[in-house]
Amino acid sequence: MYKTEIRGPLILGNKTLGQISEEITSPIYQRPKMWWLVGMGISSILMLLGFWGIYVTIATGIGTWGVNNTVGWGWAIINFVWWIGIGHAGTAFSIFLLILRQEWRSSINRAAEAMTVVAVGCAAIFPALHMGRVWDAFFIFPYPNTRGPLWVNYNSPLFWDFIAITAYLLISASFWFLGMVPDFATIRDTTKSKVKKAVYGFFAMGWRGSVGEWKRYEGLAFVLGGIAAVLVVSVHSIVSTDFAVSVEPGWHTTLFPPYFVVGAIFSGFAMVMTLMVIIRKIYKLHDYITDRHLDNVAKILVFVSLIMGTAYLTEIFIAWYSANEYEMFTFFRNRITGEYTVQFWIMFICNALIPQLMWFKKIRHNIKMVFIISLLINLGMWFERFNIVITSLAKDYLPSAWADYSPTFVEVAVFLGTLGIFSFGVLLFFKYIPMIAIHEVKMVNKLKTDKKK
Amino acid sequence: MQDDKKQLLGVFDGEESLVQAFRKFKKENVEISDVFTPFPIHEVLENHGKKTRIITVSWFYGFFAAAAVLAFLYYTAVIDWPLNYGGKPSSAFPSFIVVTLILTIFSVTILSLFTFSARARIWPNVGKPVYHEGATDDKFVIMFDAEKVDAEKVKQLLKDLGAIEIVEKLDSETSIV
Repeated sequence: MYKTEIRGPLILGNKTLGQISEEITSPIYQRPKMWWLVGMGISSILMLLGFWGIYVTIATGIGTWGVNNTVGWGWAIINFVWWIGIGHAGTAFSIFLLILRQEWRSSINRAAEAMTVVAVGCAAIFPALHMGRVWDAFFIFPYPNTRGPLWVNYNSPLFWDFIAITAYLLISASFWFLGMVPDFATIRDTTKSKVKKAVYGFFAMGWRGSVGEWKRYEGLAFVLGGIAAVLVVSVHSIVSTDFAVSVEPGWHTTLFPPYFVVGAIFSGFAMVMTLMVIIRKIYKLHDYITDRHLDNVAKILVFVSLIMGTAYLTEIFIAWYSANEYEMFTFFRNRITGEYTVQFWIMFICNALIPQLMWFKKIRHNIKMVFIISLLINLGMWFERFNIVITSLAKDYLPSAWADYSPTFVEVAVFLGTLGIFSFGVLLFFKYIPMIAIHEVKMVNKLKTDKKK
Repeated sequence: MQDDKKQLLGVFDGEESLVQAFRKFKKENVEISDVFTPFPIHEVLENHGKKTRIITVSWFYGFFAAAAVLAFLYYTAVIDWPLNYGGKPSSAFPSFIVVTLILTIFSVTILSLFTFSARARIWPNVGKPVYHEGATDDKFVIMFDAEKVDAEKVKQLLKDLGAIEIVEKLDSETSIV
């Protein structure tokens, strides 16, 4: 059934089970390294900057941002969509590859899920701030109130968005945590430190690996996996309807939901690639995250990049085919050749063209190249959102209403702050949580050893 | 601890030998009270006799959650306080679908998690005895109730099957997590 013989082992180095537990949990026992402290320091500075930006935004108001009547959605929404997109990788990794029975995912899914949770948390900051009066954010909950009672508008994609992101954050976090429970138990039972035993024992919640526990665990993982797969597709579809139900040229298309979902998976996988290359290098986990793992992610990226290219071309084609002068203007005059041409071509080249290099085995196996490409994809995906949000708004139907947009330092600070939160969260994860799902790797490792006998 | 039971543990160092032992004891009709493994072993999970209905239960959660959410949306948007949004109908089923879908998923997740926690007894400081520390690391432990089975016979069988360690433990001697 398993094709490990043809494709080589998933975990290299003929490891015993004890070795796997020891090697994966070793960062937890080491003293924090210099690079880790430096990383935490930089992240903290960025976070402080971000908190300053958030403070200014809340204390003074949205007027501190560069947004205006015409371009009502600025960096905040660009960054929101960007982070949500990155936050799709974890669940996509865990769920789709679980459904497709891709055993190689087990070395990567834990880190991808961690990234998801942090990224979705970062994303949630932006719409909350964008509401303006964030202390009234609870107005968005449908609850019996003294203002009418005025229930929320269920026809509004913005409300769907709020529900979808809350649900997604909660479900990806619980799926992530559920997977960690057996691994926390491993730490509880192998550590010699009393404090660690108590802390990890608390989070292991009495896990012992008994039949009843495993059986229900597998049942629950099946249920959560199944419904989360629906969620992955629906969350970014809903984000896309924020745009698609409006009548802005360049937004009002039926292509948007699949285009956004694919874009999200694309940027998410690129971020996974970035992170995996770093983890592997720093923690010397080459036996667990093998060249083959990275090769597989690269292959997915090539394929998804093709879909992205197709989506871009479809948009452009439909703009021409519809013969709608506003669509024509937005795509041909505004994006491809006009004022926003730089942003458009960065998007197109980084997302649709450069990843095509990974058709070549030589490039897929050159980790430096793969790493650079993955960073470029994330850059390109940021510019994709810039294109969507800014170009359509800045120049829509009436030239008299056209306006320019450039971010203020406060907006940039909030964005840098979320970058800080992200790296802070990921660094904490490196240090305190097993980066690779220990029990899953043990299971996959077994497949290979059984075959040999 | 209400009753201090004596447990007989057979410890194996590999999945193969554990599965072999499991089969043997099943064939000999010796009652295995539990098996502790570092990762799920499907042969053991399927044949041990413990059942879980968590998938069925989750389906019902989903069914009732969907009905409840739709009913809530209908009540608030149509009966309690209908608002005119640009002349659109109050009972807008197509746009209720999205909210229903997401909140159903949300409810199923929460309820299934709590069901799992309650049924598998997984919560902080639950107070379960850990019979063998290696079972979450690299050991495969098969456990018998020492009073219910013929202890001597089981020990002999375990020895023949290649158990690396055979222990008798009282519940009170274990560490509690």
